[in-house]
Amino acid sequence: MSQTITIDPVTRLEGHGKITIQLNDQGEVADAHFHVTQVRGFEKFCEGRPFYEMPSLTARICGICPVSHLLASAKACEAIMAVRIPHTAAQLRRLLNIAQMVQSHALSFFHLSSPDLLLGMESDPAARNIFGVAAARPDLGLAGIGLRRFGQHIIELLGTKRIHTGWVVPGGVTEPLAPANRDEILVSIPQAYADLKLALTTYKQIAGSFKQEISVFANFPSNYLGLINEDETIEFTDGALRLIDPKGAIIEDGITASRFTEQFGEADENYSYTKFVYYKPLGYPQGSYRVGPLARLNIVKSMGTPQADKELAEFKQLATGPAESSFFYHHARLVEALYGLEMIERILADPLILDKHVRAVAGVNRLEGAGQIEAPRGTLNHHYKVDENGKMTWASLVVATGHNNNAMNKGVLQSAKAYVKDGKFTPGALNRIEAVIRTFDPCLSCSTHAFGQMPLALTLVNADGEIVDQLVS
Amino acid sequence: MGLPAHTRLCGVELGVTYQRDWRYDLHMTHTPARCLILACGNTLRGDDGVGLWLAEWAEQRFSDQPGLRVIADHQWTPELAEDVARAQSVLFIDCSLDSEPGTLHLTPIEPVSGSPEHNTHHLGAAELLALGRELYSSLPRDAQQLTIGASSIEFGEKFSPAVTAALPAACRLIEETVLRLLSNPE
Repeated sequence: MSQTITIDPVTRLEGHGKITIQLNDQGEVADAHFHVTQVRGFEKFCEGRPFYEMPSLTARICGICPVSHLLASAKACEAIMAVRIPHTAAQLRRLLNIAQMVQSHALSFFHLSSPDLLLGMESDPAARNIFGVAAARPDLGLAGIGLRRFGQHIIELLGTKRIHTGWVVPGGVTEPLAPANRDEILVSIPQAYADLKLALTTYKQIAGSFKQEISVFANFPSNYLGLINEDETIEFTDGALRLIDPKGAIIEDGITASRFTEQFGEADENYSYTKFVYYKPLGYPQGSYRVGPLARLNIVKSMGTPQADKELAEFKQLATGPAESSFFYHHARLVEALYGLEMIERILADPLILDKHVRAVAGVNRLEGAGQIEAPRGTLNHHYKVDENGKMTWASLVVATGHNNNAMNKGVLQSAKAYVKDGKFTPGALNRIEAVIRTFDPCLSCSTHAFGQMPLALTLVNADGEIVDQLVS
Repeated sequence: MGLPAHTRLCGVELGVTYQRDWRYDLHMTHTPARCLILACGNTLRGDDGVGLWLAEWAEQRFSDQPGLRVIADHQWTPELAEDVARAQSVLFIDCSLDSEPGTLHLTPIEPVSGSPEHNTHHLGAAELLALGRELYSSLPRDAQQLTIGASSIEFGEKFSPAVTAALPAACRLIEETVLRLLSNPE
């Protein structure tokens, strides 16, 4: 009799979800699904609101990366206003976005994934957490906290709040950067470099002991999508989208926010509230792809900063074409964070960074607008329609977890086949299947626009659809 | 581990010279608090926002007290372990779903290395103390937690009648507690 395994909740994620593994009559894994089980419906209840409220409204979707929604939303609003924001405002927003990337990557690596990486996938679950990391490697515990605070503190200095700042508005930002705040960021950069380099060194030392995980953690050919500049350097705030195929060849380049909706569709699956986004010309599911740190490093030729470029060159040695295993998301995240520190230095050295002209003002000049940025976990698109009074009539938010949804499900199936044998699983196997999801660092709150609890939850179901086992980890 | 004094960093001339003596002191304008109020909650979820309301009240009430520092946030995240470890005393403020609506409980808190397997993003007061002790080898001399029994944490910006009625007593209790914590010898 076939069975199904459910992991419910899956832990150390942003949001709530569960994993179901379907076994056949021989006890082999037949199928596996990653379910996101909550829905909040932001796209619907935004209708009727003034468009200029959208940045602060949609930022409330998430407490981890509200900055991403602020920025994508503000850009969509600016498309409606048909304005170009002042140079200094653009630079400050870039600073804000990169600071958020650094703090989010620090959270993902140090707080969420380092317990697996440092203590082992089969270590005692009761100690496989931040306390276990603090006890085993207090230097890394300190570095994690330090690096996260570094990014959060920049956000706080710019926007007066660590979370849900209202500083980003359509047209720019509300306040210029104060000289003392610039200096305060600058003085903390050396320690941030030290913390990040400790993480990079440690990761490289331990990655070799995860060869099996690397081989089955969503390790398959896929397409990759991300923002890139015209000079083929990595980009988080501007630029245009590039989609590459599994061999690294460009499928389409220069996809602007306004063209996103015509090129990308959203498929539904009955087991998840999260959309399955795909590239329309290739259809679903062939047009699925991955986004986020792994995708970004796979599509770019250069980071555009010297230290990160050295790390990118090393990263590119992992494979002859695009790096395929999602385990490498961890590595990519650290390379990106290093780039972030270099960019923060560069932005703060801009002679116009303290300029007080930071906002453009305009009304409704177009009835439709779209914005796209790179959130820490991948591409984020906001697309709005308004009436002539600026009231929202339609909204579409496409988030990183939607872009990655098909790859996450394939990854869960691949790892389940590797770690569930004869209809049984061990706690170590369970954690490894969860860890596949964690490599993507998905934000389930964002993906469903749902009110998220942290846990994700494993169910074992037989061929008759009966639940035969269930684990809450 | 401190950083050397800086007048110029990353090619930028700084307005002042900084000399840090605490590794992770990113709040360089703050000296270690004699009393730290750490409140959490969500102002969009009814009574869940009461901790933030009380924190704001305390900040105004003690605006002339440089020894008091107030941090109010949605959650208590691991990063706050440093602030907790550095403070001489800490008053945690939060609502409670386990208490009768409107009831106040002021209790001493001891560090507990819990298992935040499900909640890596946010910790409880005892866990924050434990993490601060683990990483910074430091604990506040006195740590108290004030909870206010919540009636409803559904969507909304208003407090329930029970919590609203408890606010004056909560303010009085905070006032007494903060004055006592501030008066403790350094």
